[in-house]
Amino acid sequence: MADSIATTAGDAVVKTADEVGNGMTKKQALKLRMQGMTKEEIGYLRRKRAAEKVWPFFRFLILFGLCFVILYPLIFMVSCAFRDPIDMNDPTVMWIPRHLSLTPIKDVLKVMDFGKTVGNTLILNIGCALVQVITCAITGYGFARFKFKGKNLLFGIVLMMILVPPQVILIPLYEQFRYFDVFGIIKLVTGDTISLLDTFWTMYLPAMTANGIRSGLMIFIFRQFFKGLPKELEDAAYLDGCGPLRTFVQIMIPNAASSFLTVFLFSVVWYWNDYYVSSVFFQNNVTIALMVKNLSTQLNLYLFNDATVNVSVREKIVWLESGCLLSITPLLVMYVFLQKYFTEGIERSGLVA
Amino acid sequence: MENEVKAKQPKVKKPLLKMPYERRKSMYGYGFLALWMIGTLKWFLIPLIKSFFYSFNNVQPDTGGMRVEWAGIDNYKFAFMSDPDFRTLLVEVLKDVIPDTALILIFSLFIAVILNQQFKGRTFARAVFFLPVIIATGPVYSIINGDLSTTGSSDASQFSTMFETDLVAELMNFLGIYGLSDSLTETIQTVTTDVFGIVWSSGIQILIFLAALQNIPPSSREAAQIEGATAWEYFWKIILPYVSPMILANLIYTIIDAFNSPTNQVMARILSVQSDWQYGTAAAMAWSYFAIIMAGLGIIVLIMNRFIYYEVD
Repeated sequence: MADSIATTAGDAVVKTADEVGNGMTKKQALKLRMQGMTKEEIGYLRRKRAAEKVWPFFRFLILFGLCFVILYPLIFMVSCAFRDPIDMNDPTVMWIPRHLSLTPIKDVLKVMDFGKTVGNTLILNIGCALVQVITCAITGYGFARFKFKGKNLLFGIVLMMILVPPQVILIPLYEQFRYFDVFGIIKLVTGDTISLLDTFWTMYLPAMTANGIRSGLMIFIFRQFFKGLPKELEDAAYLDGCGPLRTFVQIMIPNAASSFLTVFLFSVVWYWNDYYVSSVFFQNNVTIALMVKNLSTQLNLYLFNDATVNVSVREKIVWLESGCLLSITPLLVMYVFLQKYFTEGIERSGLVA
Repeated sequence: MENEVKAKQPKVKKPLLKMPYERRKSMYGYGFLALWMIGTLKWFLIPLIKSFFYSFNNVQPDTGGMRVEWAGIDNYKFAFMSDPDFRTLLVEVLKDVIPDTALILIFSLFIAVILNQQFKGRTFARAVFFLPVIIATGPVYSIINGDLSTTGSSDASQFSTMFETDLVAELMNFLGIYGLSDSLTETIQTVTTDVFGIVWSSGIQILIFLAALQNIPPSSREAAQIEGATAWEYFWKIILPYVSPMILANLIYTIIDAFNSPTNQVMARILSVQSDWQYGTAAAMAWSYFAIIMAGLGIIVLIMNRFIYYEVD
C-alpha cells in the first residue's frame, strides 16, 4: 500500500516494511512514514501532534485556575481560623498569619456549645440519614420490582416530591407537628392533640416513613438502581422458596451494598447541611447547621455583648470562618476517605443508563 | 360425614388463603410501599392540598389550629398587583436563572470532558470539582459566597471583580462594538460576575456528565479515530448525541436546584411574608411561583425531547 502511494506522490523514496529496521529513532520512522503521505494526511498529523503538545498545558491551566476558585474559600477559611484578630487589620497579612492563635477556635467552640451540638447533630442528622436510607431503599425496591395497580400514579407522587419546593408545604407541615395526631386517634384518647415541635420526632417521623429531606430523589435513585440489577438473582431466590422480604434482605441488600453507602453519604451530607427544614421545627440552634446559620447572632450574644469589647466587623470574620471550618471538618474528613464512593457511586447507581 | 368435612376444609380454604402468585406478589408490592404511603399522606399530600387550599383563603393562626376564611383569588391578586416586591423579584430571578442554567450546563459538560481524559492528578482534580457538592447545600456556602463581601476584601467576590463589566464593555469597545443593547450588557454582566457561583454549583452536573461519558462505547471512539475525526468533530458528532439524555436530566436538576434553593430571592420573599403571619398570601405566592416553574420546565422538556438521541438497545 505504501508503494502505491509513493508512486502517486512521485519523487519520494519509500522504504518497504522490511527495510524499516529496529535501529531507527522514532523521528526517523515518522519521517519515513510521512514520505508516503498526501498533503492532507501530513497536515492532519501535524495538527494532531501540535494539539497533543499544547492541550495538556492548557488543560493544566484551566484545571488549576478552576481548582483554585473552588479551594480559595477553604484555604482562606483555614488561614483565618488560626490567626489573631489583629492580623485582619494588617494589610501585609494575606495568607500566612503573623500571629498564630487558637483563641477564635476556642471561643467558637464555647459559643457553639460544640460537644452538645455535635451530639445532637449525630443523633438527629446521622441517625435520620441512616433511617431514611433504609426506608427509601425499601420503597425504591417496591417500585422497581413489583407490578400493582396505581403504580404509575404513586410514582408520579414521588416525582412530585422531587419537584415541589419545601417552602410550598412548610406551613401545613408545621401544623402537622404542632397539632400532631394519628388520624384522630390521639384526640379521641387524650382529648387534645400533642405538639411535637422541638422534639426529635419532627425529624425522625418523616425519615422513618421515607419522607425526609430529599427523599423523593433517594427513592428515585434506589428504584433506578434496583431496576438495573439482574432479575435472575431474585428468581433463583424465589425458586428456592424465599419470600419477597427475605429476598430483599438477604439477596438484594448485599448486592447493593456500595450503592447503599453512596446514598447514605449523600443523605448524611444533605441532613448535615440542612438548616431550612430544621429551623422551622426547632426554636433553639440544636444542630451544627442551625448554629452556623445563626453564628453571627450567637457571637454577638455571647462574645461581643460586653460594652468593653470592641471588635470591628472585619475582625469578626475570624470567628465566623473558625465556625465554618469547625462545621465542615467532619464532612471534609469523610469526603477525603470515602471520595471513591461519592463519585463512583453515582456512576454505578444506574442513574445514567 | 365428619371425615368428609375435614377432608374438604383444607381444599376450600386453600384458594382463599393462597392467592395466585402474581396477585400475591403485587400485594407484596403494596407492602413494600406501605411505610412510604402512610408518610407521604401525612407529610406530603395533606400539607400540599392544605397549602393549595390556604392560597384561596385568609389564614390566621389561632388556638388549636388555623382560622380560615374564604377569600377567592384575592391572595393571588395581592401577590401580583399589590405586593411591592414579588413581581420584580420574580422577573429578576427568572433573568438570573436562565443564563446561569445554560452556563452551568456548558461548563459542567466541558469539565466532564476534560476530567474524562487521562492525565496525572486526575483523581485530585475530580475530588476538588466534586467538593462543592458536600458544602454548597449548607449554611457555610452562604457565608463564603456573599455574606462577607460587604466587609472583607479577600473573599469569593474578589473573583467576580476580576470579570467586572468594565472589562467586558472595554473589550466590546476595543472590538468596535458600540451601543450594545442594555439587556444584552446586563446578561453579559450576570454571566461574568457569577463565575464563582457557577463553578460552585456544578458539582452534581459534572458527576452525571462524567458517568454518561464513561458509558460511551469505546468502539465509537475507535471508529471516529479511524475515520480521521478531529477532537472537535468527535465532540459534536459522538459525545454530544450520547450525552444528550443527560443534558435534559441535568437541565431539570439545575433548574429545580436553582429555583428551590432557600437563598433564592423569591423564596426569601415568600419566607418573609410567611413570618408576617400572612400564610394565605405566602401560599398563593409559592403556588404561582411553582406553577411558573412547572410550565417552563414542561416547555423545555417538550422542545428538548425532539433533539435527544436515545440509543435503541
